[in-house]
Amino acid sequence: MEGSAQVPANDEEELFDTGSLPCVSERAAAEEAAPTNGQVLLKMVNIHKWFGRVHALRGVNFTVHRGEVVGLCGDNGAGKSTLIKVASGYHTADEGQIFFEGREVKLRSPKDARALGIETVYQEQALCPHLSIARNIFMGREPTTLLGLIDQRTMNKESMEALASMGLRLRSPHALVSALSGGQRQGVAIARAIHFKAKLVILDEPTIALSVKEVREVLDFVRHLRDQGVAVVFITHTLHHVFSVADRIVVLAHGCNLVDVRTKDTDVDELSDIIARGTLGDAVPTTQHAR
Amino acid sequence: MESQPIPFFVRFRNIGVLVVLIVLVAGAALLTPQNTFIQEANLKTLLALGPEFGIIALGVGVLMVSGEFDLSVGSQLALGSLIFISLAGAGINIYIAALLTCLLGVGIGLLHGLVVVKARIVSFIATLGFMLTWRGLTEILTAGKVRSYEFVQHETFVQIFTGRVGDVVPSQVIWFVLFAIVLYFVLHRGRFGNWIYATGDNAQAARAMAIDTHLVKIVCFMIVGFLCAFSAILQTTRTSAVTTHAGTGWELQAVAAAVVGGTSLRGGRGSMIGVFLGALVIMVIDNMIVQARLPYEWSYAAFGVVILAAALLDLGIEKQIQRAAV
Repeated sequence: MEGSAQVPANDEEELFDTGSLPCVSERAAAEEAAPTNGQVLLKMVNIHKWFGRVHALRGVNFTVHRGEVVGLCGDNGAGKSTLIKVASGYHTADEGQIFFEGREVKLRSPKDARALGIETVYQEQALCPHLSIARNIFMGREPTTLLGLIDQRTMNKESMEALASMGLRLRSPHALVSALSGGQRQGVAIARAIHFKAKLVILDEPTIALSVKEVREVLDFVRHLRDQGVAVVFITHTLHHVFSVADRIVVLAHGCNLVDVRTKDTDVDELSDIIARGTLGDAVPTTQHAR
Repeated sequence: MESQPIPFFVRFRNIGVLVVLIVLVAGAALLTPQNTFIQEANLKTLLALGPEFGIIALGVGVLMVSGEFDLSVGSQLALGSLIFISLAGAGINIYIAALLTCLLGVGIGLLHGLVVVKARIVSFIATLGFMLTWRGLTEILTAGKVRSYEFVQHETFVQIFTGRVGDVVPSQVIWFVLFAIVLYFVLHRGRFGNWIYATGDNAQAARAMAIDTHLVKIVCFMIVGFLCAFSAILQTTRTSAVTTHAGTGWELQAVAAAVVGGTSLRGGRGSMIGVFLGALVIMVIDNMIVQARLPYEWSYAAFGVVILAAALLDLGIEKQIQRAAV
């Protein structure tokens, strides 16, 4: 863990002991698996979130390293979306700390998160179907000419370049998003994130409702992102999808960390068993503490 | 990994509207008694009166792209006329009176926008309420009587708003075209226009990209308010009077113009050229009915059919887009 020196040392045991201990039975599992590479990019410590009386996140820890692909799994209601909404600034945590590139940060709005380089791609909600590819990619950040008009030429050129960098070749930047396949739409949304120099891209269920061929495209996009040094958090119900691209898999259950394990140290059957039961039982991945 | 081409009807929608317009004009020219439609007197009337409606329709089109409606435009016109004529009658400098009227129009738009986005009342209902409110207020303030004012004393002012350029083209046409050009740049060439489309197409996505969709909608309502006030000035200057019935029925005609011009009832789709042509279509139909000496009630039936036909065509286009996506 040489690379993570910038992050203030957090004695996690102490943090847990000073607060309430809602996740006590999973505490052992909540410890992180060894980083698969490089520096810590995002570190979320002891995150709590209440919605009225519902305690949706009960002291979750979550770490992403530079250029790492992390699969975030768990059953419905496990707290996956709440956690990433905290990371992308949509929700603010009621308790806990967030560190980005070693500095503690406050994420009060999606704008704050984006300014740091955290981009979130929500399934289906990310794009405007009746606008062109180029106008979608530059939505809200349109380049302008000296006269204050949209610089369509720059937009077209850079859109096509961003898409090409993902291995996605579309005929024209003028094509409407509604004319694209589900996989291509994900590609456009991801291209938008990397064009604006995201360091961390969060994909919320990117393969849901996609055909087998489209899923393969999306997984390729994820590999392209990693090749460019961009970290990816990949939220999914489908372990098979995430297993082929993730370096590490984090499983949440009932708002707590359940498993944090390197992909190569476990297998789909073991993890799906754990997710289905919602507790570790005897099936603790044996190598998770490898450091 | 090829994307599908843009469906034919979507790409050439404006040409379709242009064809409809040409057919209508030709039909009107041939079918009106003694071909009165294309006679100079009628064309001059059409081009002087039509833009009063057309200018408002342009604003309504922009607002509809953002995903909202304003059913109170006719009432705003009547109220704006009353305000303008009252200010002028009070002896205030005519240009200042016009400016104040426009500012008030913008203020009314701001109010509409705030009610729609902050109180979250569907704009169809909220502006229906304002339609009755503003009309009622105008009736109360005028006590149902016609108010008049002699604008002829302000020769230059009258010339600017209702004169003729080169003794042929009515000023109103110039204003109409000018607003269409300005709004074309706003909608299609500026950043704000892209935000209007994004807001109407998928507000959630727009917000995720840090676009203030509430602000976008409020500004669109303000554009409508301004254009209603401007049109009120044109009309009042032309007629030298205000009647409480001014602009009755225009709210739906303006929606019809936008929809005929290819604006989606669900927002996110439409073009300034389309709305401009759509407004011309409605202007021609309106004039045709008068020239054909049909009772005015016919116009209600005619616009009803036009709206339904345009909405059906819109549905067909939406289906075609969906199909192309598969």
